[in-house]
Amino acid sequence: MSLSTKSPKTSPIKIMQNRIYELLKQGKRIDGRAPHEVRPVSISTSVIEKADGSAMVSMGGTKILTGIKVETGTPYSDRPNEGVFTVNAELLPLASASFEPGPPDERAVELARIVDRCIRESRAIDLEKLVITEGEKVYMLYIDIYVLDYDGNYFDPAVLSAVAALATCKIPRYEMRNGKLERVEGESMKTPIRTIPVSVMIGVIQDRLLVDPSPMEERALDTSVILGYDSDSNIVSIQKNTPGLLSLNMMEQIIELGSKKAEELRSILVEAVGLGS
Amino acid sequence: MMTESKEIKLIDEEGRRVDGRRPDELRPIRIEAGVLEKSDGSAYIEVGRTKIFAAVFGPREVHPKHLELPDRAVLNCRYHMASFSVDERKPLGMTRREIELSKVLREALETVVFLEEFPRTMIDVFVEVIQADGGTRTAGITAASLALADAGIPMSDLIAATAVGKVAGTLVLDINDIEDKYGEADMPVAMTPRRNSIVLLQLNGRMTSEELKKALEMASQGIKKIYQLQIEALKKRYSVVSLEE
Amino acid sequence: MYYFNEKEIVVPGQLLADDPKKSGPGTYVLGGKVYAAQAGLPKLRDGVVVVIPLKGPYKPEAGDWIVGVVTDVKPSSIEVDLGGYLTAVLKYPERQGPPQGLTVGDVIYARVKSSNIRGIFLESEEMKKLTNGIIISMTPARIPRLIGRKGSMIALLKKETGCNFWVGRNGLIVVSGKSSEGEFAAISAIRVVEKEAHSQGLTDRVAALLKSAKGRNHDDREQGDKAN
Repeated sequence: MSLSTKSPKTSPIKIMQNRIYELLKQGKRIDGRAPHEVRPVSISTSVIEKADGSAMVSMGGTKILTGIKVETGTPYSDRPNEGVFTVNAELLPLASASFEPGPPDERAVELARIVDRCIRESRAIDLEKLVITEGEKVYMLYIDIYVLDYDGNYFDPAVLSAVAALATCKIPRYEMRNGKLERVEGESMKTPIRTIPVSVMIGVIQDRLLVDPSPMEERALDTSVILGYDSDSNIVSIQKNTPGLLSLNMMEQIIELGSKKAEELRSILVEAVGLGS
Repeated sequence: MMTESKEIKLIDEEGRRVDGRRPDELRPIRIEAGVLEKSDGSAYIEVGRTKIFAAVFGPREVHPKHLELPDRAVLNCRYHMASFSVDERKPLGMTRREIELSKVLREALETVVFLEEFPRTMIDVFVEVIQADGGTRTAGITAASLALADAGIPMSDLIAATAVGKVAGTLVLDINDIEDKYGEADMPVAMTPRRNSIVLLQLNGRMTSEELKKALEMASQGIKKIYQLQIEALKKRYSVVSLEE
Repeated sequence: MYYFNEKEIVVPGQLLADDPKKSGPGTYVLGGKVYAAQAGLPKLRDGVVVVIPLKGPYKPEAGDWIVGVVTDVKPSSIEVDLGGYLTAVLKYPERQGPPQGLTVGDVIYARVKSSNIRGIFLESEEMKKLTNGIIISMTPARIPRLIGRKGSMIALLKKETGCNFWVGRNGLIVVSGKSSEGEFAAISAIRVVEKEAHSQGLTDRVAALLKSAKGRNHDDREQGDKAN
């Protein structure tokens, strides 16, 4: 049961808006967390046998399932020596009263694009290793993300689940034999991973920051920003994803906080998927 | 299709099926109620490798308003499969099959829900197949009725369901994906056990009338077992509530 | 003849009694017998069998106190969200303006005047605008347990936490206290009531929890001082 996600109209509840800020000034949050504390994360991989890679991630009450199907196809003509991946996301209506059935709306498309950017711009997948015959046949990874339960901040767990599914994905091997593409039975390879991107959602209320907002907090925020980081703490994507002002003076603090939290989330991910770095 | 069915041995010399079951044996089933936090009621079911979530929202105001009924609630149902739930990636969006199954599921659920208690409202049931290995509509309705009960929606009974198939001339209970693909018939059946009545019945394929009678009897036996598992899951859900210390 | 034990949960379709005259709320009659229509605890109350649901939607009745959020202010009526699914209406004389200067996003505590086919209407006389506190929600079916017999549970919570409580039958609750520690203790006690609504000795456990929370907050503060 949640008050905020069920309300058809999402204008903030005044007493909560004031209260969330008052608590932040005392270093507290309505659910008892510290301002810079993420909710508990749990990651299980290879949960869908029919997918080539899959991961179920929960972050507090938010639950995300990602599955990857690998197909073969023609590369883009401007990138003949690279494999292809696409990211899709759906906000399933069973996840929240505020999600509606139907084709992905702008929120779902934004989620997919943020996850895509984190993976693409960090160059997490070595796409050149996903080529079967240059310019002709490459592996194509379809990364499909489903939000199953929405209790705030679906961005960070979505990136975690996509990367966990990628890291544990078994790509079925294909070979060209006499000009014909054939499946090499029983053989598969790991996704060539170069870095482990994670994202961190940071909310801003006046002069205070918080991470991993709850739905009630999301409604009270002045604005929020999602930052993607690679394993070397480079920033690989940014999305200011709500209206409102983001003070230039706060950016330094935001980047530092994000980088610290990214490391924390990455270590949880690395442990769950058994990736030594 | 006929040539393929000869290649795959659906029933071996000892009368066992592709996955080692006897003809009248169900796959291992796991049922849990109350698995998703943000819906009003939810359930999860695994039947062999078939895995499904169901969630219920409402009764809530009807949108758009002209769909509301003056004397009862509107029941909505969406059966949907994840793209990676099947062997060949399913394109995004609803297929004709999903639209049809949403309809038959809704009509089955309507038979047990006391819709007249909530006029001018809407109850939404969402069935999300995350892995399909045969029997998704029957597992889906089993989970959906449990999610409705978990939501506290008044209803006359739970609905339990399974499918009976015909493979290599033999009637088999709870058919899996391979049996469905290469077999001769697939008959999903859902029942309200309290009234010993059918609420969903379909048939794909051919059976003699004798076989049909026997298949219904087999389905009804399987349904009784699934019904018990559902009841246990619901009681367990609430015993946690009342006894946890 | 009855077929249930008051301590055991029943499920929809379960046989409870064989006299159709004994069918009360949460049950139905089929073929002259009484069955459960909801998951919950069966009870014999005033000579009929009832099932007390453990979860379920809020059905407004005249006289209920509710907590709601103002979602729209119109020339002579105000729309109030009762927790996402239901909208109630508070009427006011247009020339006087919205009572207590209500605007969108305000939280109110009010009584249901009537609930019928025309909609849910609230009393404006006793309506109170709540200006401070934390709003939380729980399943409406367990609100009676939070209030307790003759208000005993809520009285205990008030006494132990020093907070004020506005409890809506619709499942929304506002907790307001002098310190956030007190409010947090109150909210965690409410969560215990929600989770263990129908277990034995609940009141004692909530009292014990609040006493230990007081001690713990005290410790936190000391540790915090040291850290500074």
